[in-house]
Amino acid sequence: MRIIIVAAAALVYASAVRAETSQIELGKAVYRSNCAFCHGLTALGGRGPNLASGEPRSEETIKKVVRNGVPGSTMPAFDGIDPDELNSLVAFLKSLSGSASAEQIAGDPSKGHQVYTKSGCTGCHQIGGAGSTYGPDLSRVGGGRPVAYLRESIVNPSADIPEEFQGVTVVTKEGKRVTGVRVNEDTFSVQLRLPSQLYRSFVKQEVKEVIDEKKSLMPAYKDMSKDDLENLLAYLHTLRGQNEKGTAKQAEAVR
Amino acid sequence: MKRWLTTLLIAAPLMAQTTSSPVTFDRIVNALKEPQNWLTYWGDYSAIHYRDLKQINTTNAKDLRVEWIFQTGVKGAFETVPLVVDGIMYFTAAEGNAYAIDARTGRQLWQYQYKLGDKKLCCGTVNRGFAMLEGRLFMATGDAHLVALDARNGKLLWDTEMADYRKGYGATLAPLIVKDKVVAGVSGGEFGIRGFVDAYDANTGKSAWRFYTIPGKEDPGGDSWLAESWRRGGGATWLTGSYDPEQNTLFWGVGNPGPDLQGDTRKGDNLYTASVIALDGDTGKLKWHYQFTPHDTHDWDACETLMLLDLNWRGSKRKVLVQANRNGFFYMIDRTTGEFLMAKPFARQTWAKQIDDKGRPVLKGTAEPTAEGNPVCPGLAGAANWMAPSYNPELGTFFFPVREQCDVYYSSPAVFVEGKPYWGSVFRGQTEEKEWGLLKAIDPTTVQTKWDFRYAKAPWGGTLATSGGLVFSSDEDGYLMAFDARNGKNLWKINTGNRLVTSPITYMVEGKQYVTMPSGAALLTFALP
Repeated sequence: MRIIIVAAAALVYASAVRAETSQIELGKAVYRSNCAFCHGLTALGGRGPNLASGEPRSEETIKKVVRNGVPGSTMPAFDGIDPDELNSLVAFLKSLSGSASAEQIAGDPSKGHQVYTKSGCTGCHQIGGAGSTYGPDLSRVGGGRPVAYLRESIVNPSADIPEEFQGVTVVTKEGKRVTGVRVNEDTFSVQLRLPSQLYRSFVKQEVKEVIDEKKSLMPAYKDMSKDDLENLLAYLHTLRGQNEKGTAKQAEAVR
Repeated sequence: MKRWLTTLLIAAPLMAQTTSSPVTFDRIVNALKEPQNWLTYWGDYSAIHYRDLKQINTTNAKDLRVEWIFQTGVKGAFETVPLVVDGIMYFTAAEGNAYAIDARTGRQLWQYQYKLGDKKLCCGTVNRGFAMLEGRLFMATGDAHLVALDARNGKLLWDTEMADYRKGYGATLAPLIVKDKVVAGVSGGEFGIRGFVDAYDANTGKSAWRFYTIPGKEDPGGDSWLAESWRRGGGATWLTGSYDPEQNTLFWGVGNPGPDLQGDTRKGDNLYTASVIALDGDTGKLKWHYQFTPHDTHDWDACETLMLLDLNWRGSKRKVLVQANRNGFFYMIDRTTGEFLMAKPFARQTWAKQIDDKGRPVLKGTAEPTAEGNPVCPGLAGAANWMAPSYNPELGTFFFPVREQCDVYYSSPAVFVEGKPYWGSVFRGQTEEKEWGLLKAIDPTTVQTKWDFRYAKAPWGGTLATSGGLVFSSDEDGYLMAFDARNGKNLWKINTGNRLVTSPITYMVEGKQYVTMPSGAALLTFALP
């Protein structure tokens, strides 16, 4: 009798383990078809952050981020996700936790801030409301992008160009060329944001050609010294958005 | 005297229009002969989406302007195609809403709402429109019911459950009248359903016949499914079919097999998914079938418009059926026998080398979805979809929207739970490549392009052809456009302010021609000044 109970208990346990495994497997499938595009096939990060390292988050926080997205970032809201799939996804992400070590950053953030200023980054980027709207706002770039991605973005920005910062050159029928960030393009018109931060709209009837620039509009900082690059990365990594008072958290971090 | 006579001549058709006679089956059969009206979802039984109206034409289309706007206030995709009967427009919207309005002014006559409550629906509450017979309007609902309304006041006459929504069934299509019956299909191909086409008595709502799109184990075709996989084989019937009154044959497009992207558990051709089925109009018995995509693993439903044309094919006149299929090929099939005549690609496709002489695709063998993801063209949403193509019989030209977009297809083992998604994957992964679209004008006997017009994005909006030498089309950026049907010259456009997800129609009231297109929560109607 006792043996039977043990055997039954073992069966229950085995099926519970199986259920858990299959939930993680399902979560992996959910991950691969929804998240891998930005976070990488192994969740070590890509355009989106590394999900296999970093501070562990509660299940509720993960669910909230998935369902609502991250406003102000490129993380979309997966509001239609099936609750079971979401549970599986969370189980999968939890199973990864700690599987990769946190990113090592050697540089000095406060020196990095100086590199940021002296390299003219403010000419195109914004942090905490200061700078230009031409390029991506970096106020929370440390939270949103893995260090490896940031490094690549500085040295070889053309490696990955987010859709909303695609550079285009409009050639008018008179042969004039205007280059800017494509804000919108439809069948009959195209709107650009210029380096001057002004918008410019063209009706395609007046346009000879709209060329999608293969290269990023950002110059490649290939020749930046190793120290400067490491410091700059350390600084960018601290950028996590503003606190409620509107004081940039990164400012505190820099201090 | 002469003047008086002219007035009388003009007045006669006006009288005919304002005295609304019942919409009989005979009137629907002859729908193209009353171009002022739009009596059935595709405009007529052959689904050519064409009207012999030329008040708006290539010379004056540039002057089109908004005549009226009807705001429904209803959120969600507005995919309806309104019916217009003798000056009154009947249409549906999402969330169970339906309306009758004055087609000349956009003023409401009545509104009806089917209560969906907080039911969890497989396929949302989107609705594509009414069918009408005698004084009755028929609407399918998100919870897979079919309801009949009194066209005079929008009061409910009967309400029949087609299938249990808790088992993953829904309905979004506009029903189709065949004689004294209402024919409808179901959505839920991603939810492990067993699809069917149903017919109901228009007077009582009582079931007349049902044809299962997935044969049972012992039925012909039952051996095209591994083991018991047919029980949840999908095969939804979510878009309105077409009908040949002469042969009394109903043509219906069948959706994908399930689980969508995982074929291992359902080895075989998986009849009658991704097929066209030809059914007897009285009994629903199968006359023939043709399968476009055997053992589909890319969600390539074959529900797209089945257009019935009489064309010259290799020296003789043939009664054919044509379809621009989601899988990227344009097909021509003999609609009397089901004989495969021709298939040619109309968009980029990377899955088949060709379609052989018997109509079976010769696979490249590299297009199966995988755990790591496999990029394939066309994408999951297909190179064509529910938006209407159109045909101009004078020019012999077929106009249709083309979606140029590819996807990364992921696959994973599927677990069946009744009423739950049964994809064998989750969502689609888009490739990095920018999508685009085309309005294409082709000769349907050769699939040769006569002209095309490029859209910035892959469209979800359809087309309309008229004897005014025009083709109207709609794109993902919200433009409703008019083109010269002969050469593709863009004559007119308006940014309607929302993505367009259905097809335009045209009609006439008291001697004035209108063009109507739903956009966002608004029904927009255009006319000449």
